[in-house]
Amino acid sequence: MTSPTAQRRVQEAGPGGTASHPVRGINHMAFPTFDPAGTIRFYRDVLGLPLVQTMQVKAWGPEYQRDFVHFFFDIGNADCLAFFYYFGQEPYADENLPPLLDLGRHVALHVDTLADLDGLQKRIVEAGLTLDMRVMHETVESIYVRDPNNILIEIARPLRELTAADALDAGITAQALLDVLAGDGEPSLDALWARKAELIGSRAAAGQGAP
Amino acid sequence: MTTLYFLDAAEFTDVSAVAAAQPGARVERLPGYVTVTADGPVVVDRRATGVRHAVWYSALAAVGHGRVVQYDKDALKVEPVP
Repeated sequence: MTSPTAQRRVQEAGPGGTASHPVRGINHMAFPTFDPAGTIRFYRDVLGLPLVQTMQVKAWGPEYQRDFVHFFFDIGNADCLAFFYYFGQEPYADENLPPLLDLGRHVALHVDTLADLDGLQKRIVEAGLTLDMRVMHETVESIYVRDPNNILIEIARPLRELTAADALDAGITAQALLDVLAGDGEPSLDALWARKAELIGSRAAAGQGAP
Repeated sequence: MTTLYFLDAAEFTDVSAVAAAQPGARVERLPGYVTVTADGPVVVDRRATGVRHAVWYSALAAVGHGRVVQYDKDALKVEPVP
């Protein structure tokens, strides 16, 4: 099955193959690490994501800068997950992050099939790591595990392909949210539902939006 | 009269179908959505839909002229607003 991202890229490509925007996925997403050994074991050895680039850099620039190693794991599509290990930097953790916000801040990796998801779950469990959750969401099934940096890693496989209706609804929802935020009342899901109904009704009356 | 909007997607079909089975309910298809309209309250029994929790709690896309008075593990209930 084509990944949602890849599918969107195809949908956005016009007759000449030109997409509506020039961005092509994630070049890299970077995080500091205070446990580079554990990080390499987790991503390279447990998940099987190859290290494709490293840099060892002498501190330069701002005075707070330190000597560091910057390393990149391949996460497919030529995208990378990257880490900085700063020599001599004291570990830091945000101990006050509320649980809700902690869950909301995560990295979701994509796999294409159920077999791929099961295979990675097996590798995680066999490595002695704790699988936080396995959840059937709306359009993806996901497993969750903490990396050695306490970053919540989600691995998701698609349950169906995204459709034009999904994209249409995304646009209407975003507009409704902007309208609710700009209004006088307290933003709420009830206000969003009501505004969406108005927008959908207006579009239907104008004959717009056939996906 | 209140209208419930559901995204026209496979995972929400069973939810809109249970809503539509309510006596007096009228179903309409708009671009991208299935709507269920009723003169009185609309009640959807979660267990009757058979959908998993993640789908249940994201099934409602929009509400026209209504107020959600219950949306929990048991049911979704929307009452008309004058």
